[in-house]
Formats: sequence, structure tokens, C-alpha cells
Amino acid sequence: MINYAREGKMLTHKCTKCGRLHLSTVYFCQGCGAKGFEPIVLEGRGSIATYTIITVPPAGFEGYTPYAFVVLRLDDSELRISGFMADITTPADLPVGTRAKITGFDERGIVISKDASDNSAS
Amino acid sequence: MEKVCVLGAGSTKYGNLANDSIADITTQASVAAIEDAGVDPKEVKAAYISNVFGVADKQVHIGPVLMSNLGISDRPSLSIESACGSGSVSFREAYANVAAGFYDCLVVTGVEKVTHTGTEWTTTYFAYCSDFFYEGQAGASFPGLFASMARAYLTEFDATEEDFARVAVKNHENGFLNPKAHLKKRITVDDVMHSPVIASPLKLFDCCPFSDGASSVILCSEKFAKEHGGDYVEVSGSGRGGSPAALQGREHLTTIPSTKIAADAAYKMAGITPKDVDFAEVHDCFTIAEVVDTEDLGFFRKGEGVQAVREGRTSLNSEISINPSGGLKSKGHPIGATGVGQVVEVYDQLTGRAGERTVKDAHIGLTHNFGATGASCAVHIFQGV
Repeated sequence: MINYAREGKMLTHKCTKCGRLHLSTVYFCQGCGAKGFEPIVLEGRGSIATYTIITVPPAGFEGYTPYAFVVLRLDDSELRISGFMADITTPADLPVGTRAKITGFDERGIVISKDASDNSAS
Repeated sequence: MEKVCVLGAGSTKYGNLANDSIADITTQASVAAIEDAGVDPKEVKAAYISNVFGVADKQVHIGPVLMSNLGISDRPSLSIESACGSGSVSFREAYANVAAGFYDCLVVTGVEKVTHTGTEWTTTYFAYCSDFFYEGQAGASFPGLFASMARAYLTEFDATEEDFARVAVKNHENGFLNPKAHLKKRITVDDVMHSPVIASPLKLFDCCPFSDGASSVILCSEKFAKEHGGDYVEVSGSGRGGSPAALQGREHLTTIPSTKIAADAAYKMAGITPKDVDFAEVHDCFTIAEVVDTEDLGFFRKGEGVQAVREGRTSLNSEISINPSGGLKSKGHPIGATGVGQVVEVYDQLTGRAGERTVKDAHIGLTHNFGATGASCAVHIFQGV
């Protein structure tokens, strides 16, 4: 998952029995309990489902503050993925529904950025 | 199954207890509960201890220290960690052991001591209770995770940040009447709205404090309680549930599944519905949490929790008294102690000794306590006898 995130993509697991899609950290299907999964690589694009702007950070994030912790709803799936987003200072910077994409993985976990190439409403 | 009762209860004050060690306050609360119940320590067969950050005060494995201090060092003890829900989970395990007949009398003590570590330490270490790979690692603090729920709630429903502030004002009103509360002061909606932003849209006064404190109850079989005498209340329902560990995995970002699962089980066991509950101590670590809790517990429909607060329907001695103790918000949140502290409040209410914050004519009380963003949860229902 980490290597795919570095490429801007999201590795997911599709249950070979019932078809339910999971993040790739899951070992058994929450829907039917089966263990067999087929890897599906999604484009790491979607729209912001919710977020917060953190002004009192945990250790290691002082240099980035303020920043956003975001939950991204991935296109063409029911899946959401959380991540770090830099350079967000007020709610006006990031309305819910803003288009965004995975842009990397580093000491801040999955890094998500606004998708400037995509101005479509969602 | 044996019927299970709470026979006595005690707490330290919640707040900054920097002069006492974690072992000291564990013992103080336990001794208070034992003396309140009027039992001899030799009658206490085992201890259930809930604690999360004993490492911060250089003492984990607190149980044997407590038992040694009580003069019953030969008795077993167990420490339980389930983040902020540790207290209620420990209570549940103790309940199950009495119900199963393994023990007829137990002490259940929750404790936390972290205020000496400071805000950065607590913010950092509390985030380890999240699904760290997805949340803590990406810079999510606990205020940040609940702020994400709050943002989703503001987006989905007819709610304002002032509505959340009203939860804090209400709980501070109740906590002002509680001599053991950490933040024993009245506040206004303006105070909340003008307090510093911690994680947008949550502000400082939307957040509960980091607290030190210990709470303890004596749990016993009904037979033991009747033979022993004294005031007791019956545990009539006990339920537990789970949720996807990370918010991202939840079907709705404004519902905590574990609360619904735990509550349904507890209501069913007690043979009651939410309408029968006279008062509830719910997990209001942040103002948004209380709104979501009161909906998930079935007191109000989804999206109507804020309206209920606006109309004063959750205030003391209104439609349903929510957090008469002041809740985590005002009474304080020593995370390992909180779930046990809620039972102390219910015991005090149902035995008529809650003083100025008494819920009138109360017969049925409910406690609701969860870990992290509700990844784990326990709900208990208590009836006066």
C-alpha cells in the first residue's frame, strides 16, 4: 500500500467471494468472512468527505502547523482513506467536496493534496 | 447468571493531583469504595484495574500494588486497557465474573495520572489510541478526529458551532454543582466561541480536559448485597460493541456503530427502551460526541441531538438529564477512570446522595463510555432497588 501511495495510487483488496472492496490492510472480508482477495489498484483521486485543521499538533508536526487531517472519499468506490494535507489554514481553503488526490507517503503517513487539475464539482 | 449489584462507590477529586502518585490515588479511591460499601477488605476476592498511561507515572501492573496496600496481597488482579473506554470495559469484565459466579465481591478501580506530562505529551500519546497507520501517523490528534466528525455533522445536518457550545455550557452548569469536578466553573456560549481553536471547528471549551483521578466501585452478587445490607443498585443491563477502528471505515461519519450495538444489547437485557432511562452519563470527550451519543443511544433521532440541546431537553431535570455529573467535559476525563466514575455518579444518584445535582425521581440510570472515536464501547443500565 505504501509503495502504491508513493505513486499516487491506492492498493485495495476485492473479496473474490462477494466482491466487497477493502483497504489492503484487511485479511478477512467484513461482509462475508472469506479470506481470498484480488488486488485492485485505484487511482488515488476523490473528494473530501470531512476534515479538520489542526492548530495544536502531536509531536513531530510542529513544523507543519496548521495543517489538515482529511478523509478522502475515493472515486468509483465506497472506500475512504485518511491522510495529511499541508498548507490549509482556514475552512474556506477546503470546503467538503473539494477534489483531492493522494500524492505520496512519508513520515506524515499518506499525503493528500488538492487536485488542481480537477475543477469538477462533486 | 447471578444478579449483580453495586454496593459502594468512591472517587478522588478529578483534576491536577500532582502531589500523589498513581498508586496513591488508586488506593484512595478503592479505600473510599470499600468503606462506603462497609465491607472488610478480606471480603474482596479480586480487583479489576483500568488504566492507560501508567508508564507516565512509572507504575504499570498497578493491581498487585493496590492489593498489597489493602492487606490482601494474595488476591488476583487484572489491568485492562481500552483507551478512554477502559473503565467501562473493566467494569463489564468484572460484572461478567460476578454474574458467572466466579467471585461474589470485587473491587473495580479506574485510574489515570497524566497532567504532569503536559499538553504535547498527552496529545501525542493519546493519538496512539487511534488506528495509528491511517490516523495518528497522518497528524490526527483526538480533538482532530472528533473535529472531523463535527465537520461532517455540520455539513449533513442543521447544526451550528454554537449548538456544540451549548453542550459545554450545559455540562459546566452540572459540573458546577459537583464538588469533585475538575473544571468547576460556569461558562457561556460566548466563552466557548471565543476560546482558542484546537482543531477546527472545535475550540478549547469544546474539549474535555486532561485530568488525573481515580474512581472505584464495589461489585457483588445480589445474594452478597442482601446478606451484607446497605444501599445497593442493580446492574440490569450490560452491552458491548465495536466499530471500524478508523473513522474512514464507518458507514456514516456522524454515527458510532459500537454505541448502537452496545446500547441495543443493554436495553434488551434490561428489558427497557431508551424512553425508560431517567438520566445518562455519556461519553462527551468533545461536545460533538455528546450530540452523537444521545442520538446513537436512541434518545433522539439522527440529526436532532442539537435541537434537543438548543431546547434544553438534556439539561438537569428536563426531559432526560444528560451528564448530571458534569460529564467528561466539566467533571474531567482521567481516561482510565472515566467509565468507573460514571458508575460512581449513577450509584450516587440512585442512592439519593448526589446533592444539588440530584435527578429527581430517578430509578433508571445509564452509563455510556467508549474508547478512541468509539472503536470500542460499553453501555450499562442500573436500577435502584
